[in-house]
Amino acid sequence: MRALTDPTPKIEIRGVSKSYPGDNSPVQALRAVDISIAEGEFVSIVGPSGCGKSTLLYVVGGFLNADGKVLVDGKVIHGPGTDRGVVFQEYALFPWLSVRNNILYGLERGGLASDERAKIADRLIGVIGLKGFEDRYPRELSGGMKQRVAIARTLACDPAILLLDEPFGALDAQTREVMQDELLRIWLETRKTVLMITHDVTEAVYLSNRICVMSARPGQIVDEFRIDLDRTIPREQLVTSDAFNKIRNQVWIAVRHQALAAETANAAI
Amino acid sequence: MQRSDRHSYLWSPIGRIIPLVVVGLIWQAAGTFRLVDPSFLPSPVRVAYAIADLLTGREIRDNLLVTLSRAAIGLALGSMAGVWLGLMMARSEVFRAYAAPIVGGTYSLPKSALIPLFILWFGIGTVTTVCAVFLACLLPMVVNTFQGVRSTPRVLIWGAEAFGTPPKGMLWRVFLPHALPDIFAGLRVALGFSFVLAISSEMVASTNGIGKLIFMYGENGAYDYMFAAIACVVVVAFLADRLLLIATDKCLRWHESSARRELA
Amino acid sequence: MMEKVASKRGLQLRSLISVLTIVAVWEAAARAGLASPLFLPAFTKVLGEWWSVCADGSLPGDLFTSLFRAAAGLLLATSIGVPLGIAMARNRLLHWMFDPVIALAFPSPKIAFLPIFILWFGIYSISKILLVAFACVFPILIGTFAAASALNRVWIWSAYSLGTSNFALLFRIVLPAAWPRIFAALRVALPVSLITTFTAEMVGGGGGMGATLMYSQRFFESPTVFAYILTMLAVGLLLDFIMLRIQQAFPAWSPGQ
Ligand SMILES: Nc1ncnc2c1ncn2[C@@H]1O[C@H](COP(=O)(O)OP(=O)(O)OP(=O)(O)O)[C@@H](O)[C@H]1O
Ligand SMILES: [Mg+2]
Repeated sequence: MRALTDPTPKIEIRGVSKSYPGDNSPVQALRAVDISIAEGEFVSIVGPSGCGKSTLLYVVGGFLNADGKVLVDGKVIHGPGTDRGVVFQEYALFPWLSVRNNILYGLERGGLASDERAKIADRLIGVIGLKGFEDRYPRELSGGMKQRVAIARTLACDPAILLLDEPFGALDAQTREVMQDELLRIWLETRKTVLMITHDVTEAVYLSNRICVMSARPGQIVDEFRIDLDRTIPREQLVTSDAFNKIRNQVWIAVRHQALAAETANAAI
Repeated sequence: MQRSDRHSYLWSPIGRIIPLVVVGLIWQAAGTFRLVDPSFLPSPVRVAYAIADLLTGREIRDNLLVTLSRAAIGLALGSMAGVWLGLMMARSEVFRAYAAPIVGGTYSLPKSALIPLFILWFGIGTVTTVCAVFLACLLPMVVNTFQGVRSTPRVLIWGAEAFGTPPKGMLWRVFLPHALPDIFAGLRVALGFSFVLAISSEMVASTNGIGKLIFMYGENGAYDYMFAAIACVVVVAFLADRLLLIATDKCLRWHESSARRELA
Repeated sequence: MMEKVASKRGLQLRSLISVLTIVAVWEAAARAGLASPLFLPAFTKVLGEWWSVCADGSLPGDLFTSLFRAAAGLLLATSIGVPLGIAMARNRLLHWMFDPVIALAFPSPKIAFLPIFILWFGIYSISKILLVAFACVFPILIGTFAAASALNRVWIWSAYSLGTSNFALLFRIVLPAAWPRIFAALRVALPVSLITTFTAEMVGGGGGMGATLMYSQRFFESPTVFAYILTMLAVGLLLDFIMLRIQQAFPAWSPGQ
């Protein structure tokens, strides 16, 4: 893989720690997280609920200040930028814009002609299977539909980096697989750098080059799995293969370990 | 308001007039059968005659127009200033710190208390009324705009930033749209206030306007005309409120409060 | 978002500065003779006047009269509005009967009805109390109706399936669940009761804060006008603060506001 041998990583997370002010004592969400992601790499983060995954994504997005550094293309970031496209866990669609206008929102700054923008939007509406819903407002969509619009909106801007916070979390199992395959296709075609958060171990193994397992709060990277599967073979074959299941089981056990640890920690409180 | 299929005719526009007609009939019966002294409660028929008479003359139209223009000027100025102040307070901590005690203090002041003060300052007439309406409309707009902007979810702000919206664009593209439902809610409150304050202040500090007219009819013992003028006020206030609601619904089709359309 | 949060102390200081500045400018303008004492009596003079109308008992007496009228009207409005609002939410025929009247009356400026109330009930407390009740009953009614209609149907169904009687349903499900929003409606109605009382007194006389305020204005007793207005402001603030505190004391599940 060309990407993995690239000398400067696309994203470098260096010693990132983050505390939220709490009622009595501050809540530490992240402790000294180091991740380095090469250009074109697809990295997933899995971990127990509330361990700080979203927080990490917000820091990389440049929305939250934290201790430590985040570098993109070797430069420290100081806020959000259009180089990093974000899909939020809560979708973050603009409720006052229709599906089409939400997708068009980010395109307006790209300097494209309006008919070109419309073409991109129409194509993406087709990809996410929402033809006929272009003029609906977010409140008229189901959770899964909103999530698909949020993904389309981010893909429309064609950012070099994708930051995805449980992008398929609200989808039903069938749509989820279709959308995963679509993301995989886009990634294979464009080799974007992807940082994805998910709870679904199968999804992580199916899509990523690397999986980082986070501990319960304060979140730290406790395990890392490199995945070298051939992405070109069809889903049925890949998912049922021994190689796939072996690595899937390993990741699953590691995550379960952390979840159990989180539970005993909670019970102790 | 859900309606059942069984009684849908009751909820039709005509069905909804029935209760009002019933009220009118009881009122008429009370007079006809001498249950109340008709000099204290003119019958609906007499009030209807008075309304017809008023509508053909200029008196009610001219005075109503005077009142409405005072209310409209105060409402327009008050709500524009209110939205601006609310935005400033929401976006600037320092501005908020200075403005908060003034807004908080005057918000709970019964606004009509200032009418005597305005009479001292501006004398009797339009300026006093417009000032009273202005102040009464200003505060709900400030508070609602402020709350609407402040309650913008952080992910919406972040989302807009991630798509490269410049800080100047955030106001028009994120904060104002998000505050719009609250602004409209404030506008409805302000509209109500504008009528109350215009009429109150005309009753004590004006030589014309519908408030003064109602009071004069009362003092002259023309009770059927007094009832007729009040009925006109009720209808005009109702229509203004409805118009605002329709406009709100048009502008807020995206919002939860707008009638829920079925999923295809 | 990378925003700097100014220190809380600093912000409080600014609020204080802002109030003090207004008072100082007021006092200075009056002292320097920028405005005639008729328009703007000095703040200290207003305070002195406030003290003397308190001492001779006129202000406390007026305040008591007005608050009594406002409270009685509000109480009357609550005792009609809350039961009727719940009944309308539970019974569609009642809803149909009252809805058009409420729809027409809610947006109307109630103060316009004052001459009728004076005609029927005279210029003293009864007419004022009834007008206040008339003005307050609609927001309370609509708030209660909305609160009782917004109850989760599943709660009611599960209560029935657990064997709750109709009567118990009211006290164990409907009222507790709707109470926070009913209280929010009361909080809206409270300033309405004050403004209606004061205005009715200003327009119709018959004693109370509003009547004295108007009277003082007519005789150009500006310090008294200011003293009364400041008292009304303080009363409005205090009552709203009390209501807010009660509202905040609700259990965390209550969908406040
Ligand atoms: N604004 C905030 N203020 C205080 N604490 C917060 C805030 N946001 C998050 N936290 C706390 O920080 C921790 C991490 O939150 P975060 O949202 O990053 O978790 P997560 O791993 O994304 O969880 P999930 O998988 O459920 O989405 C949580 O325990 C949460 O309670
Ligand atoms: Mg999360």
